[in-house]
Amino acid sequence: MKIAEKAEHSFVGTLLGVLIFFTLAIGVTVVSPRLVDPTWTEATSSYQVQIYEFGDPHFFISNSVTGSYDLQFVAWMEEGKTLSAFVETERSRILAPAELKPFITHVGESIKLTDRILLLRAPTGDLKKEVASVQDKVRDEFITKFPNWKERAMTPPTVDVFEIYDPKLKEAFATSANEASLEDFADHHFEIIEPLKKHEEIGGLLYVKNPTEYRVREVETPVGKGFRYSPNGKSIGSLEELKKLGFWSRQELISLGEKIYAHEGCWYCHTDQTRTLVQDVVLNGSDSYPAPPSSASEYIYQEVTFPGTRRIGPDLSRTGVKRPSRDWHRSHFWAPKTASPGSIMPSFQHFFDNDPRGSQAAKPGVPNLRFEAIYQYLMTKGTRLTAPSEAWWLGKDPVQTKAIIEGER
Amino acid sequence: MNQTQKINVVYDDTAVKWLIYPSLVFLLVGMLLGLFVSINGFLLPDYFSGEYIHFGRVRPVHVGTVTLLWLLSVDVGLLYYLVPRLCGVSIWSPTLAKISIILWWPLLILGNFSYPFGTNWGWEYAELPPWIFFIPLKILFVVSWVLTAFNLLATVATRRYEKLYVSLWYAIGTLIWTTITIYIGWFHINFLPGGISRVNASFFYIHNLVGLIYTPMGLATAYYFLPKLANVPIYSHKLSMVGFWALAFTYAWIGAHHIIHGPVSQWLQTTSIVFSIWLFIPVWSVVANLFGTLKGNWKKYLESPGIRFILMGNVFYLLTCIQGPLMALRNVNEITSKTDWIIGHSHISLYATFSFFAFGGIYYLIPKITKRPIWSNELSDWHFSLNLLGSLFFILPLWIGGFLQGLDWANWANGRTYAEYLQNISVLPFVETVTRMYPWWLLRSIGGTIVLIANCLFVVNIFNTILLQPKDKLVEDPI
Repeated sequence: MKIAEKAEHSFVGTLLGVLIFFTLAIGVTVVSPRLVDPTWTEATSSYQVQIYEFGDPHFFISNSVTGSYDLQFVAWMEEGKTLSAFVETERSRILAPAELKPFITHVGESIKLTDRILLLRAPTGDLKKEVASVQDKVRDEFITKFPNWKERAMTPPTVDVFEIYDPKLKEAFATSANEASLEDFADHHFEIIEPLKKHEEIGGLLYVKNPTEYRVREVETPVGKGFRYSPNGKSIGSLEELKKLGFWSRQELISLGEKIYAHEGCWYCHTDQTRTLVQDVVLNGSDSYPAPPSSASEYIYQEVTFPGTRRIGPDLSRTGVKRPSRDWHRSHFWAPKTASPGSIMPSFQHFFDNDPRGSQAAKPGVPNLRFEAIYQYLMTKGTRLTAPSEAWWLGKDPVQTKAIIEGER
Repeated sequence: MNQTQKINVVYDDTAVKWLIYPSLVFLLVGMLLGLFVSINGFLLPDYFSGEYIHFGRVRPVHVGTVTLLWLLSVDVGLLYYLVPRLCGVSIWSPTLAKISIILWWPLLILGNFSYPFGTNWGWEYAELPPWIFFIPLKILFVVSWVLTAFNLLATVATRRYEKLYVSLWYAIGTLIWTTITIYIGWFHINFLPGGISRVNASFFYIHNLVGLIYTPMGLATAYYFLPKLANVPIYSHKLSMVGFWALAFTYAWIGAHHIIHGPVSQWLQTTSIVFSIWLFIPVWSVVANLFGTLKGNWKKYLESPGIRFILMGNVFYLLTCIQGPLMALRNVNEITSKTDWIIGHSHISLYATFSFFAFGGIYYLIPKITKRPIWSNELSDWHFSLNLLGSLFFILPLWIGGFLQGLDWANWANGRTYAEYLQNISVLPFVETVTRMYPWWLLRSIGGTIVLIANCLFVVNIFNTILLQPKDKLVEDPI
């Protein structure tokens, strides 16, 4: 070929020299770091692994089509995989037929987990008769404890009573009163009773607390046929059925949130890294404790990571702790300048179904889908480093940031 | 360089025209968008509000227009001009050049103006979407780039003049570097584990985009057009060799200096800092060489706006490259990083340095390829003077304001206990440090307006040169 014949040494030499220098730099600065430094690919804690790999895909969000903002949170439980616990509190008691009694965790006991599919409901049959005696017992205990309760203007407590039953299912869809379902984490003092499969227990396990079955009934609305949670409604048979109701898993929402974060360009104004600087750990800290600086391992579950180069708005790497409120974020996205005076952030009314100029009309399923997605994405920031009981905002920061910035270390 | 006058070669300049003429339009479009976001994002935040027009969706269109549609396109156009002339042969394949340019423009325009509709890919400077509808945009653009690179490399390989002039080294370098850098930043990043491994690759890409694409392209043009404009030889070939090989050795190591104090390994940060300081060598050798070229001929600075642009670009190059390495130092970085200083720094390098070099090149090349003199020298003078004034108005406030904001943030760390730090932040909350930037942002927009007006004059001048009958005939010189 003409080119090959004519290319002589100074051309080839320049070409080779450039390539050699470039390869050397790529080898050291791009290829080697993750081989040398395990934190680039390893998780921060077993909690982080479980919440991303098991918690998020098993936690579902939607609502009815009534247009109101009533989110429904549903845990998808699989036999042999999902752990659950039946925990009594000062205000609740759990009954069970004899063979299910071992699964009850009484007040003060270590948590008893099971990977069988068991659910809670209002007592039925024989157990229904026991309710009154349980209520009486609690009342008697109270009166014995505070004999002068009337003088002290106290009221004897009433307790809610539930029953554990075995629905004989391979998978079930459960709801629990609080949104934190599937963020309950047993990291010390727990035992797994009659496990069907072996569970890797290193560092603790994620479980569903007090699952009750999620049932729905169909309703007619001006928008069309919809559904509504109803304790006496019909059971949900499979994941497909749940998704037909417009449910999105938290994993899907976080992933959508990350995409929204990318194409809305949030990252041009917000950084996502708490740097190893006093100003950063203070800016992102809670009232009592500074935020630990971001570590490489925090980001391993992200498709795209946005460390950022410019801070026109505040850093977001600890938002899940600094601003956990869904209502705060709703009002802030709708009108940032009202919610935080002096802010220059644009409003994001198109995240909401009822934006007059938005491109997305209300559809059955997750209300304000784009808002919910970006909210779920933001809530991962800073909250998933360690188990909730070992959290930095409780002062259990493994890096001991506070001691470092106060010069004690 | 005197060799060029001995051989009679007919150069095919279609590719030059096809790249440079449209890029002039995008220069204005990009700057108009920049002015728009500086007002709608900062001075009257969210005045025009809504899904497709808010800051986060328009900013990447501004950046993409000025970086890809203006600067990259014009630089490649200038390479299409200078590489054949330094080789003494016409471009290796004019057809191939046309094919690559026919791919180039629609892909970049489509990709760049799709961001407001939600296609931003999420990695900085790599925002182009991999797909638009059924079009594999990124892959096709790489095809266009590889055809361009192959064509230019083949021209060098089949050249008539044996000696490689320094501009050709930079051209060879940038063709290789760009190809590999784009592969890593656009494609390979997907195969890396999620998180910091990708961030690191992204910063490698971001830095090389500036350091190994715009820098060598800009220097190739400056090294070619300055001696041409002034009609004097380059000051020192040895010095230019030192500059080139020092750049080839040091530049690729410093990506991690964008994330100093961040969540990457300390040794990597330190490596990037050390290599950043080494950048003084390639930069100062270039600066000295370009200034040295005019030694004894400083009168020429007054005579030609092209020379003024290249030399003023050289001054800004010196400034930006003093800043760059210093900003990598941990204690300086603590103040400047994440502030508007950074925005000032990126504008001084991509605008006041490399765009100035490109202006210089255009002022030389347009009379050559159209065989007409520049339509109005007066407009050229205004173009330069207003550009210099506007750039200073625009960049200095960003530095000063950014530095002051950095000091505000650093002041939160005054004290000894966490309670004291929190007290500092309650006295001066974050949002207050943002509102304090307002006067600096106002100056920035004023500077931006001046620069935009200057460039309107420039584009009118150039298109008048191309389209109108010349006011007076060009006194022909041999090439």
